[in-house]
Amino acid sequence: MLKVENVSKQFPGVQALSSVSLEVNSGRIHALVGENGAGKSTLVKIISGAQPPDSGRIIFNEVVFEEYSPAYASAHGISVVYQRQQLVPMLSVAENILLGEQPRRSRFLIDRSETYRIAGELLNRLRVDVDLRKKVIELTPAQQQEIAIAKALYRQAKLIILDEPTAALGPSQIERLFELVRDLCSHGISVLYISHHLEEIFRLADRITILRDGKHVTTQATTNLTQGAVVNLMAGHDPQRVNGPETIRAGMVDPDVRRNPIRSEECALLEIRGLTAGPVLRNIHLIVPKGQVVGVTGILGSGTHDIAQVLFGLMQPVRGEIRLSGASYTARNPRSAIARGVFLVPENPSRDGVVARMSIAQNITLVDLPAITRLGILQLKEESATARKYVSMLRIAAPSAVREVAKLSGGNQQKVLLAKALQAKAQLLILEEPTQGVDVNAKEEIHRIVQELAATGKAVLVISTDIRDLLLFTDRILVLREGQIVDDLPAGVADYTQILNLTLGVEEAE
Amino acid sequence: MSPENSGNNQLATKNQRSQKRPQLSLDRFRIDATTYGTTVVLIVGIIITAIFQPVFLTVSNIANVLSQIAVLGILTMGQTIILISGGIDLSVGSNVALSGVAAGLLFLHGVPLWIDCIVALACATLIGLINGVLIAQNRAHPFIITLGMLTLLEGIAELVTGGSPVNDMGALATTLGGTIFFGIPTAVVLLFVVVVLTAFFLARTPLGRAAYAIGGNEEASYLSGVPIKRTKIYIYTLAGLIAGIAALTLSGILNAAEANIGTGLELQSIAAAVIGGTPLIGGRGGAWRSLQGVLLLGVVSNSLNLLSVGANYQNIALGIIVLIAVMVQKNR
Repeated sequence: MLKVENVSKQFPGVQALSSVSLEVNSGRIHALVGENGAGKSTLVKIISGAQPPDSGRIIFNEVVFEEYSPAYASAHGISVVYQRQQLVPMLSVAENILLGEQPRRSRFLIDRSETYRIAGELLNRLRVDVDLRKKVIELTPAQQQEIAIAKALYRQAKLIILDEPTAALGPSQIERLFELVRDLCSHGISVLYISHHLEEIFRLADRITILRDGKHVTTQATTNLTQGAVVNLMAGHDPQRVNGPETIRAGMVDPDVRRNPIRSEECALLEIRGLTAGPVLRNIHLIVPKGQVVGVTGILGSGTHDIAQVLFGLMQPVRGEIRLSGASYTARNPRSAIARGVFLVPENPSRDGVVARMSIAQNITLVDLPAITRLGILQLKEESATARKYVSMLRIAAPSAVREVAKLSGGNQQKVLLAKALQAKAQLLILEEPTQGVDVNAKEEIHRIVQELAATGKAVLVISTDIRDLLLFTDRILVLREGQIVDDLPAGVADYTQILNLTLGVEEAE
Repeated sequence: MSPENSGNNQLATKNQRSQKRPQLSLDRFRIDATTYGTTVVLIVGIIITAIFQPVFLTVSNIANVLSQIAVLGILTMGQTIILISGGIDLSVGSNVALSGVAAGLLFLHGVPLWIDCIVALACATLIGLINGVLIAQNRAHPFIITLGMLTLLEGIAELVTGGSPVNDMGALATTLGGTIFFGIPTAVVLLFVVVVLTAFFLARTPLGRAAYAIGGNEEASYLSGVPIKRTKIYIYTLAGLIAGIAALTLSGILNAAEANIGTGLELQSIAAAVIGGTPLIGGRGGAWRSLQGVLLLGVVSNSLNLLSVGANYQNIALGIIVLIAVMVQKNR
């Protein structure tokens, strides 16, 4: 039914897909798995027409795609239900399902009763029980997803792509979704199912395609695979990649700091006991000593980012105790967190981290304006001297410190934020996905800078879904699953597959 | 920090190479397309008018133009600070009216003039403070909050004056409405002082810097520990105070105060700021740029007057100028 033939796609610096082929049969559930960056989303974007491939072709129901646009793909019967819904919040359920293709009384008048009749019939057929007149904003995420699927069906979708559909669902809602998906298949509709949850995939999918580094690894019937085998295939076994860290680390950091990780509580800079917060975090214990780089990993929704939010005053804990340098610590907001020596470098620097139109210098000093203020007046000379210091120290590639931050690369924007952390005299640095979207050289530089900061006695907490990256520059890696710490591994001991297994909750396979 | 990294060295050499070029100074005194555009239009406008109407360049006409724009210019400075912080203030016009009326009525009832002036400034500042608190505490957009304030203030001004103008501002007319040395109108000197102070505030004080930061990226500013609410309250309060100064200036020039005297001033101040190069999206602009917008509006309207163009055509011309200015900015 859907044939992907030798599709390749290149982005600047990355071969996102190289000659990937796969085939989805009619009325079947086909799972697509791979770690972050394996090329799943790029493939989905090409199939759904959001991006054209560089080479290769898509054939759907014997039609070779000549054009890549969402409208074209949708007109041929391919529909994507994304993690974030593409529904209009203030319109009713029925209006959303029929949006843009509503029945009309005349050229300019929509036929409301017909709209509701058609939507009602459709939801009945799907056995979805939702009030048609409710606004979408009032629905639960699970219901919104069902409406998105109904919308796809109204547009005569023959292939529905579900991208992490269970991320926001509870157990009973997941069962309901599975029923719905199986129901679709019995009506001859195919489903391409993308998920990190292998358990779900093994319950649901007929076939599984595994991608790694933009390449097709294998496509097998689910019955021929085990979860452990899938993880091994996702990870690949390339000893060089797993053992990389030592070569990069050698000679960079004071060996005493690294080899004798100090575990005693007197040296603990950050100590979290029994922290419960947000929707998932339960009873977290965590110690970050001075001079250590601690990685925290887990799949989307495992609660890793909630730890950062609590520490930076963006989320209030329900229970638990946090101590910073031995003193009780609470942060009402980022301002009070910064005052206590905690700084967060957010996940998307260009969106949430920097003021793009301001200069490097202005961005750095923003974190502590009083430091460059005398008698209520900003000392601009002092400001540019401060900024120049950081530009050379962190090797920010810019012609001068008055350069607008918008004109810097992602890696250099990241460095501006690290400079801000230093200017704020932070003792604890929290980095969220610090190497996401930066090139290889910048990645290595960021690794090096972070280790050097740790060597000067700061504690660094790195929150990342990129396990390989964490292995390269952290001292310890904590693995979170469903809001709980499931393991705490020294980086020298941990290996990639083991951690991946832990994040996914899969028993280790031989 | 140890420099042992090859990719890194590449970056470093590139870095050094470009530092040798005089880019640093270019960056600092970067000529902005919009600033430049407005300046060119301003100069061309002056030249054309001077050719057709030589009287335009006479001292008395220039003084005339400047005193005509003084009130709008002062008001636009407050608006500029607010626009830079990503906000908007529609209540400045009615603030001018109410503060002016307050001073006028007190003077009418025999209260000494200096007290009247202080009361007017306090009243204007208080209005700004209320704006700021409402905007900082609520999630409603400043547009709608200050629109509500505009209507409220107009109502109050109508109520206290009973709809009739206050026609004597006493010594205010001879001081603020008169001239200082060499026949320079006091209002023009006051405008100049307000512009210089605003430029200094924006460039050299922590609060001014915070205004740019919040307007440029509120989320990033919050994550940098900038006190968002407090900054907004201060900024709207300051804009209120500046509106009070504009109110006294206007009362002095007209030797009168009236409830509907500020109508339209809020929109003119926004238009002037935008034409000058302080856009609505926040995080950009400045006092001198906004002043250029004010001057352009003043020159155009004065030259159209000198060329005896009718009022309706004048509005059409001004409207076209606003549209062109906004489109030029969008293309940047």
